[in-house]
Amino acid sequence: MKKIISSKNAPAAIGPYSQAIEINGILFVSGQIPIDPETGKLVDGGISEQTTRVFENIGAILEQAGYTFSDVVKSTCMLASISDFKAMNEVYSSYYTENQPSRAAFAVKDLPLGALIEIDTIAIKQ
Amino acid sequence: MKKKLVVILLITLLPGIAYCQAGKTGKLPKHVITLENTPAKRPYSPAVEAGNMLFVSGQIAVDQATGKLVEGGIEAQTRQVLKNLKNVIEKAGYSMENTVKCTVLLQDISFYAPMNQIYMEFFPVDPPARMAFAVKDLPMGALIEIDAVVVK
Repeated sequence: MKKIISSKNAPAAIGPYSQAIEINGILFVSGQIPIDPETGKLVDGGISEQTTRVFENIGAILEQAGYTFSDVVKSTCMLASISDFKAMNEVYSSYYTENQPSRAAFAVKDLPLGALIEIDTIAIKQ
Repeated sequence: MKKKLVVILLITLLPGIAYCQAGKTGKLPKHVITLENTPAKRPYSPAVEAGNMLFVSGQIAVDQATGKLVEGGIEAQTRQVLKNLKNVIEKAGYSMENTVKCTVLLQDISFYAPMNQIYMEFFPVDPPARMAFAVKDLPMGALIEIDAVVVK
């Protein structure tokens, strides 16, 4: 029933978790940070570059699992600084253009590897 | 009599058959819940329904009439957040009793006890599963944000 999703186009897990798990038409994608899957390191740049990389990673995992951004129902955005909220939203809205998922967004104390943003995702197959 | 029975059977079974077909093809139409006063510029929906599950966006204590955070500290903000949550849930055709999971984000962990006092008023019996913790900052300088998963 539980299916482990693994994509080479998204960064390998940096801990004891799977990139995503699919069960009964529901896909739970692990929180993605802006790691470049080719280098295994955080991408250079600020919040815009990091948010873009996070979405590239989410997109690769969704695709591997046979889902698309339009299947996403819930997104949780964790920021290292609440002052990045607007800039994050600009990139965010270019990936979710219509029928946008529900969302919770907030700033946390710290993110793994010193990332500026982490996003986790739930998708349900249309 | 037989004809009547067949008709009754068809009427009762058809929705079930349709549901099974939807299940087979994995068709769970994603349905976006909107409110009359949802600002257009926001890149998220107040809630999204898929099948019998409703995912409600994190609510902060914005008074829908003014578009601003309510005054009066954590008690007033918690009450407004849960009012907003209830409003979205009910607009989607669900009820607070259908809520299975909440995530409570606090701007300060000392808000935990006063938040719980108000929270209990909205979930008086069989409250949903929950996680609650303090974050660094919330949008608009809010003291509390709550999101929810609701299943009918």
